[in-house]
Amino acid sequence: MSDLLLAAPVRDGEVSRGSLDLLGGARALADQTGGKVTVAALGTAANQAATTLIAYGADTVLTCAEPALETAPGEAGVIALEAACRASEPGVVLLVADSYGRDWAPRLAWRIDAGLVTEVTGWSLASGRLTFSRQVFGGKAQAVLASRRPVAIATVKPGAAVACQPDPSRRGLVQELGVTIPLDPSWPQVIETASEAPTGPRLEDAKIIVSGGRGLGGPENFSYARDLAEVLGAAVGASRAAVDAGWVPATWQIGQTGKSVAPNLYVAVGISGASQHMVGCSRSKLIVAINTDQDAPIFEQARLGVVGDYREVLPRLTAALKELLQ
Amino acid sequence: MQIVVLIKQVLDPEVPARAFRVNRELRVPDVPRAAQVMSIFDGNALETALKLREAVGSGVKITALSMGEKSAENVLRKALAVTADDAVLLADPAFAPLHSVQKARVLAAGIRKLGSVDLVLAGRQAADWEAGQVGPMVAEELGWPCVSFVSRIDRSGDSLHLRRELDNGYQIVRLSGPAIVTVTNADVNVLRFAKVRDVMMSARKPIITWNASALGLDPTDLGEPSVDLLDLFVPERPRHAEMIEGETARDRALGLARRLRELNAI
Repeated sequence: MSDLLLAAPVRDGEVSRGSLDLLGGARALADQTGGKVTVAALGTAANQAATTLIAYGADTVLTCAEPALETAPGEAGVIALEAACRASEPGVVLLVADSYGRDWAPRLAWRIDAGLVTEVTGWSLASGRLTFSRQVFGGKAQAVLASRRPVAIATVKPGAAVACQPDPSRRGLVQELGVTIPLDPSWPQVIETASEAPTGPRLEDAKIIVSGGRGLGGPENFSYARDLAEVLGAAVGASRAAVDAGWVPATWQIGQTGKSVAPNLYVAVGISGASQHMVGCSRSKLIVAINTDQDAPIFEQARLGVVGDYREVLPRLTAALKELLQ
Repeated sequence: MQIVVLIKQVLDPEVPARAFRVNRELRVPDVPRAAQVMSIFDGNALETALKLREAVGSGVKITALSMGEKSAENVLRKALAVTADDAVLLADPAFAPLHSVQKARVLAAGIRKLGSVDLVLAGRQAADWEAGQVGPMVAEELGWPCVSFVSRIDRSGDSLHLRRELDNGYQIVRLSGPAIVTVTNADVNVLRFAKVRDVMMSARKPIITWNASALGLDPTDLGEPSVDLLDLFVPERPRHAEMIEGETARDRALGLARRLRELNAI
């Protein structure tokens, strides 16, 4: 049970920050179990990511740069991961809970008959048993689960683990996974990829976020949030309600099925505080809520609250902060 | 074209945190007055199917498929009320304690029994336990591909073009054969309101019910769960926010700015 396998999607030789953080967690767990950490680096120019992965804690990197991973990432990725499991025989498989990991994990679990726990926020190894924690019921309850099979698979949310300090002198083994994945014509194929990189700071990295919800009433009113964000050097996010109303792009959504953020300051404007939203911002150091409804649930989650109409509060807050910050 | 939409009835996710309780011994939620509703992403999946049927024009049949107790007929009625063509409930006492892999087996058996299914849509995760496992596992049971986090489906010649939402952008995926598609929320797939006329027309429509034996499954041999739920609890509630007071909005805004400064938040 002691060896770990981490799935790391690679694009043009680069792995995500999320993968490096999870690798830190894998390293810590392996140090407890006495096992080794293998990373399956899957995607274009995968071998270019190997040195980084070893510096960040991998003992072995299995690379696979099969073109099918680009065109049919779902189907090809699961095949590659199953091969990586055969090669490294892990007791635990870890994946970042992103569009790759969430896609691959259930299918891999089915194929290798592993016990799968998804959206994990933490884990604990006690008396030889590995247990995983996660939120359920829209963040309203906490569950603790363990695999009943010899192999456990977990998709892990951001914030559960932190990357090690990279050590370029670390030694490790780099091997090709050695699996050929011909593109099956019946597979769904990616014919277009569009990146919607934000112009300002990325939500996941932003130190300050101003977030708007249903209370803003319309897309044009996000300008109030943007004005405040500009003064604070903040990123702008939104609740699911604003996305479903078509006011803002889906990539702005913060919440259980949107982005998970951990800024120093999170200003929630016109957001009621539904638990599914709070799941996405609860790691914020300080949450401020501005809402017309004094009974809004968000006032039980925020540190500071103002009852009021954002149309009156925000411009004056923006002006006051502008002065204070000069 | 036959589309199946998997629909789960769940404890209302809108129950506020302050009202949510859990029976820690039994490891189940304990909110007796809460409504049971259609899982929200399944509603998105249903809307996606309805829009695809509208785009294709004719020859598209939508079947809502649910696994649950008899009360789950409520959500199947809701599906019929927004003009799903048929509704099927998979119900059997043996299905009650099942976990994801086993549920996938049962749902796959239901899909096979329906026959000639071209597309299965499901919400990306259920609005209660939120595991997000059943959809992709049904794909594995059927030996079909799976495309996840799709927000819209368009017809393009003999293929379908799926818009797949990524963490920072999207993909367009071309699909030419049967598949499971899991659906995520977007402005284009919020479930429509039922028209009164359609509610009335659908009220008489029978809901087909299949049990384990109708599905060709041995109720004593549905497999073992692969995961143990060891604990379920409600974490301690944080304290109420410190409210910034003031006569006018301007006063409160100034008060907030000062407090943020004091707390070194800016």
